Amino acid sequence: MWQRIWRDWDWTIVICTVLLVATGIIAIGSATHVNQDGLQLSDLVTRQTIFFLVNAIIVIAIQWIDYHKLRDWSNAIYVLTIVMLFAVMVVGTSALGAQRWIQIGPITIQPSEFSKLLMIICMAKLLESRINKLNSFKELLPCVIYVGIPTLLVFTQPDLGTSLVYMAIFIGMTFVAGIRMRLVQIVAGAAVLLAPLGWFVLKEYQKQRILVFLNPDIDPFGSGYHIIQSKIAIGSGMILGKGLFGGTQSQLNFLPENHTDFIFSVIGEELGFIGCVIVLLLLFMLIYRSIRVAYSCNDTFGMLLATGIGSMLTFEVLVNVGMTTGIMPVTGIPLPFISYGVSALTTNMLSIGLLLNIAMQRKKYMF
Amino acid sequence: MLESLYKKKKTGRFDVLFYLITLVFLILGARLFYLQIIEGGYYQAKAEGNRLRMVTMTAARGIMYDRNGQILVGSRPAYTVSIMPSGKDVAPEEVTKLAGYLNKPAAEIQKKISDNKDGYEPIRIATDVPMDVVTNIEEHSHELPGISIDVEPLRYYPYNTMASQLFGYVGEVSEEELAEIKQENPNTLVGAGTILGRSGLESMYDDVLRGVDGGKQLEVDATGRPVEEVERKNTIPGSDIHLTIDVNLQKAAEEAVRNQIDQLRAQGIPAQGAAVVALDPNTGAVLAMVSSPEFNPNWFSQGITTAQWNQLNNDKNHPFDNKVISGEYPPGSPFKIVTGVAALDLKKVTPEEQIFDSGRHWLIDKRNAEGEALGWLDFNTALAKSDNVYFYEMGNRVGIENIDKYAKYFGLGEKTGIKLYGEAAGNLASPEYKRKVFDQDWYLGETFDAAIGQSFTLVTPIQMAVLLSQVANGGIRYQPYVVSRVDNKDGTPAEIFGPKKLGVLPVPKNVMDLVRNGLRDVTAEGGTAGDIFKGFPISVAGKTGTAENAHGQDHGWFVAYAPYDKPRIVVVALVEQGSFGAGSAGPIVRDILAAFFNVQKAKLVNGSSNGTNRTNTTNSTRVIEENN
Repeated sequence: MWQRIWRDWDWTIVICTVLLVATGIIAIGSATHVNQDGLQLSDLVTRQTIFFLVNAIIVIAIQWIDYHKLRDWSNAIYVLTIVMLFAVMVVGTSALGAQRWIQIGPITIQPSEFSKLLMIICMAKLLESRINKLNSFKELLPCVIYVGIPTLLVFTQPDLGTSLVYMAIFIGMTFVAGIRMRLVQIVAGAAVLLAPLGWFVLKEYQKQRILVFLNPDIDPFGSGYHIIQSKIAIGSGMILGKGLFGGTQSQLNFLPENHTDFIFSVIGEELGFIGCVIVLLLLFMLIYRSIRVAYSCNDTFGMLLATGIGSMLTFEVLVNVGMTTGIMPVTGIPLPFISYGVSALTTNMLSIGLLLNIAMQRKKYMF
Repeated sequence: MLESLYKKKKTGRFDVLFYLITLVFLILGARLFYLQIIEGGYYQAKAEGNRLRMVTMTAARGIMYDRNGQILVGSRPAYTVSIMPSGKDVAPEEVTKLAGYLNKPAAEIQKKISDNKDGYEPIRIATDVPMDVVTNIEEHSHELPGISIDVEPLRYYPYNTMASQLFGYVGEVSEEELAEIKQENPNTLVGAGTILGRSGLESMYDDVLRGVDGGKQLEVDATGRPVEEVERKNTIPGSDIHLTIDVNLQKAAEEAVRNQIDQLRAQGIPAQGAAVVALDPNTGAVLAMVSSPEFNPNWFSQGITTAQWNQLNNDKNHPFDNKVISGEYPPGSPFKIVTGVAALDLKKVTPEEQIFDSGRHWLIDKRNAEGEALGWLDFNTALAKSDNVYFYEMGNRVGIENIDKYAKYFGLGEKTGIKLYGEAAGNLASPEYKRKVFDQDWYLGETFDAAIGQSFTLVTPIQMAVLLSQVANGGIRYQPYVVSRVDNKDGTPAEIFGPKKLGVLPVPKNVMDLVRNGLRDVTAEGGTAGDIFKGFPISVAGKTGTAENAHGQDHGWFVAYAPYDKPRIVVVALVEQGSFGAGSAGPIVRDILAAFFNVQKAKLVNGSSNGTNRTNTTNSTRVIEENN
């Protein structure tokens, strides 16, 4: 097996992942002022590093499991997801207006993060048998209900971001599953028409976020503060950045929460346009490889899994970087591999593990 | 077949997916390009604005020294409590806490912060904060982020109200003023928060006294707490000036004025205020200058309260006016010096000629003030006893034109040119003046009035001091001055001011000697001020005066110089609504002379200040005195 890993892994994915996580750890270090306070075991930097190493072992370990087995476990996974999401609503702790965390011992986990990968597995199983058969609403309806239940649960947490990620995954996967374009057009048209009604479904703070996104200056020290300060941070980085640990916006706390959702602002400020482009290129390579894996996969389950992972990452990058640069509303989606957050990091690395597993098995059929 | 069809469709779908993903990244890349490269400069400025704050450091103003090097006006360190603007309002709890320590209304502090929160300079919350409050705030500084305590030089007037109108006061430049100054001179060193001189010497010599404010650029964090000093420009202190004032004489003068006004009021005389000036008749240097009532310029340095401002502003007796240079009063009897000099010089009378005072003049029924008659009088007696009828006749003989001519020789009717703001020119009674203002003919009776200083003639106390200096020094008219030296930054003299001759009286010495003799006899027994100067060891030449005042009690004058034979000092005092000059202004002048010549007060017959001497004197003296 070790030999197969050496021979058949998609090393581009591995290298991109390692570089991205490393960049993230450095940026977290800067955001949490390790340069001023010194490095300690309790630091977020240490925690993120430890979780990276633990996850790396897990990624290798799961190569011994054939990913096709997930197909058989999908019903159990689906139930687990629903239970987890319920659990958050019952025993979760809330922060920043949303109830998203469960405290287990010293670790707070964010089930909605894990649920993204779990939903990819469930959706892959669901759509596997429906390849090229999604020609009418009648055939689409069961899928919509199947995905809709957890989506609504997440949405009511409220976690608009994650529910949007579910939708992005679903759209990506149904698209490669060969959904009839006519259906896509109708749904898209209806969505555009019904979008204004969505306003009434949103929580007050979500409405505020959208209003502020449209014009951050209506509340420059409330909800608009993050957008304004993040734009200042990124913009002021200019071409080369202010140097690592040299960002005035991040070092002087003008940008709160900058180790999680707004980590990209730190990179933009301290590493400049060049640094941002490198990070985006690494992400692009990673996603491109995941789509390659999906395309070249011989079985539709693997293809759908890889597509789901690629869609998830693409959407998260779009929303997160869009948010920090002020072209997307604030939704609380972290930047994959880079933002601090053990749940998100674990989910993303497990996804990579799965992707590598698919890539490795794909090769088997080629010989 | 179906399989291959899907294959084709699958390839198409994946191509689309790939393009979509590429598009997402291109959009993000373009956005970054826009933010970081196209708009990068703009955001960099924003980031700098976020983190940098300019803190002005006030330069210490120059010191004002008296003629012996004593500090009259200086600066002292004061603690200022400011808050760094962070763009946001400060939490109400923090403001409440701060308000508690400073003992100020929280709403006032909150308003100051809200008004200035978008600036880049610290907002001054309180100036001149006492040490114990500073300690208290520093101990709780962790609860008060963004609060900074600085030591700044504060303009300090150690003698409080002393010569307040002369020294002036200072105040922070207002926004409108700053705009005006910048428009006039775009390179001005005056900036927000600069302290400017507002009146008196502070204003006149503002360019000299005001230093150049410095500043430091601080890096602050998001709460406004200073993190690091980035840059510093040191202050350049202002230059010093040296005054001709003698602080001891000034103190004595103020004490004399205060005591005398209290005494007069105790007697029911509604004395409103006073103007006193002492000059060196040989140079024109001002030794003391008092204008009463006064104000305390320290109030302005510390930030004047509404109550204090209202108190000063509503004072009907004009505490801000320097009455020595801006107060215009009828000269009263001291003007008889002018009339007398004119008559003697023009040979309209000889010193020996006796004129009979029957109580009224024979041409026009004009009398002595109290209706008394003094009989046969020569020049000396008439001047010493301040007889009106004698001087009506002098006016009759020399005519209004000659009275004016001699008044001009003495510098009346024009500003002395003392380097201070607000000097008045006074006025000379003349037919031209009456024609211009009232469009009426001139009558002989008006010449009579002018001859004894009761007509349209108006003078300032400083003009009277110059007039008397000319009598004392033999006729040289010196321009009075208060600043003798302006220093460079290093304390070396930059400019030295000395006596400046404005003119010489074209009158022979023998005439002036006659006048001086008359004035000496004013303070001798039987003169109008004889009682006040009884036992005074230095011989004094002087003249009492009572200026008629249409708006209330008469103003009292006393002008004097001493010693009679070798004059070293001229003192002029005017008490507004003080009634008779000898009783109101006389004791002030006597006390100042006593201080100048170190005369023990115990040696003076009438005690320290002599408002009561009128009641103590015999009836006959009283008549003479009131006849001035």
